[in-house]
Amino acid sequence: MPNILSCFKWVIDEAYIKTGPSLKLDMNFVDYKISDYDKNAIEEGVLLQEKFGGSVAVITVGKPEDTKGLKDALSRGPEKAYFVNDTSFSDLEPSQTASLMAEAIHDRIPFDIILCGEGSSDLYAQQVGPRLAEKLDIPCICYASKIQVQDNQVLVERKVDDGLEVVQAPMPVLITVSPDINIPRIPGLKDTLGASKKPVIEIAGSELNAVSARLETIETRAASLERSGRKFSGDQAGIKALVEALLKEGAI
Amino acid sequence: MAGVWILAENLEQSIELLTIGLQLAGEIGTDLAAISWQPETADDLIAHGVDEVILLPPLTAGQALEAYIPAIVERAQIDQPEVFLIASTLKGKELAARIASRLDAGLGSECQTLCWDAGRKSLVIERLVYGGTGVQKVCCLGRPQMATIPPRTFEPAPCLTGRDGRITQLNVSPFSPVTVLEKKAREHQTRDITKARVVVCVGRGMEKPEDLEKARELAGLIGGEVGCTRPISEEMHWMPEDTCIGLSGKTIKADLYIGLGVSGQIQHLTGIRDTRIICIVNKDENAPIFAAADYGIVGDLYQVLPGLIEEIKQVKA
Repeated sequence: MPNILSCFKWVIDEAYIKTGPSLKLDMNFVDYKISDYDKNAIEEGVLLQEKFGGSVAVITVGKPEDTKGLKDALSRGPEKAYFVNDTSFSDLEPSQTASLMAEAIHDRIPFDIILCGEGSSDLYAQQVGPRLAEKLDIPCICYASKIQVQDNQVLVERKVDDGLEVVQAPMPVLITVSPDINIPRIPGLKDTLGASKKPVIEIAGSELNAVSARLETIETRAASLERSGRKFSGDQAGIKALVEALLKEGAI
Repeated sequence: MAGVWILAENLEQSIELLTIGLQLAGEIGTDLAAISWQPETADDLIAHGVDEVILLPPLTAGQALEAYIPAIVERAQIDQPEVFLIASTLKGKELAARIASRLDAGLGSECQTLCWDAGRKSLVIERLVYGGTGVQKVCCLGRPQMATIPPRTFEPAPCLTGRDGRITQLNVSPFSPVTVLEKKAREHQTRDITKARVVVCVGRGMEKPEDLEKARELAGLIGGEVGCTRPISEEMHWMPEDTCIGLSGKTIKADLYIGLGVSGQIQHLTGIRDTRIICIVNKDENAPIFAAADYGIVGDLYQVLPGLIEEIKQVKA
């Protein structure tokens, strides 16, 4: 029966980011959330355990104060959480996150299936999953839309550019899941209360080797999506005016 | 040895990668090599500017492209390219991340712009973050400097006459523990919306699947295709997934986009930001999409759409 480990990232909720003057990103009033795509990874871990038995845990790398994310993740069904944390673990780039997570998992955490979201809601680099598989030297299957466990193998339907492939790989294995693989549950009050009683195992940054960045962020600014936004009314006259405008633009 | 590499997964996107690859090779003062497993495309690659085609042997049955990772990594360790560019197809993104990990290299994912910074002696990359709210400017610290590039970011490189290039055959045995048991082609219910000149996009404001007919009628009138927002394909399953527009779906570069009942989540807006004209119909005057649109009608979709179809029919007549 598989030991399942779902990875998640605690990220800034982009809905709260405001654009300040001269395209500066205003992060003063942001809230945080579990990266949307990682909710699918957590849900799939719990669903696989319900179907095939074994255990299911979550793991995240972050700053010591990111404990709200652990509670949120645990309220979604996993039995326990591994919290790889250090005050220096902010704004990590994908190769650092993958290396830290790999070292924390290796020798410490039993696993047969590691699940990741297809990317994170903040950086959406889609690197941590595949990089983690390489660091752990295990098979990697990306963009899964269906997972089954059979003997010591996984049977996975994965998205490829021209359709789907059914693939097989021996465990231990890392799988990144597509957002369409499941619909993540919305935790109820009971789940939230129960989450605080579940164990959190801390792995301190001091226990791990320091990893240097492979990407340097020079700057981050707001993306300007603003357009002229000419509004018309919904009546006949408005429709007529819109069609005229589109004709004038040579668009229709 | 070539200092700029591209991964030639498919010819169309490889020729786009060559536009930026050749520009970078010129600025760095080096050759360009393409990693390929399709000997039939070697002449085309050379004609479009490749100096060396590094050719991998065909895969055995049940193997997929990831089987090439060890051979590509081994060759990269010998040739030590300065820059390695990969198209950000699903497979390309996976291979790029895994190769970068093995080479301990930095990788800029889904780059919107790339340029060579002579002062830093490095590639400077711009990419979208926070669902498209932000633009992150990064540079790679390790070597090779790797980047994945979305399709149609660059124009195809021109075909040149009388070019010579060499072909280097690698003698390796590709293998991955992941075996392919079955392949299912995607059901193409529509034409490729990423190539459509006009895209009519339906969102949550559409109440039932039968109403899609009206959107199709509008699209048919103006030579367009119908796309949708994520809830329509993923939650309602009214439209096939390859018509879903947004950050984790398709990115369109159409001449005209008409959004019907689309609220304008940032992830969706990111998929349409390169469209020339954005036009929308939404009854909620405060929907975020109005700020990102060129033209908008504030009104009930079910009244506006028939009126719009009639009006276009009249002006076309």
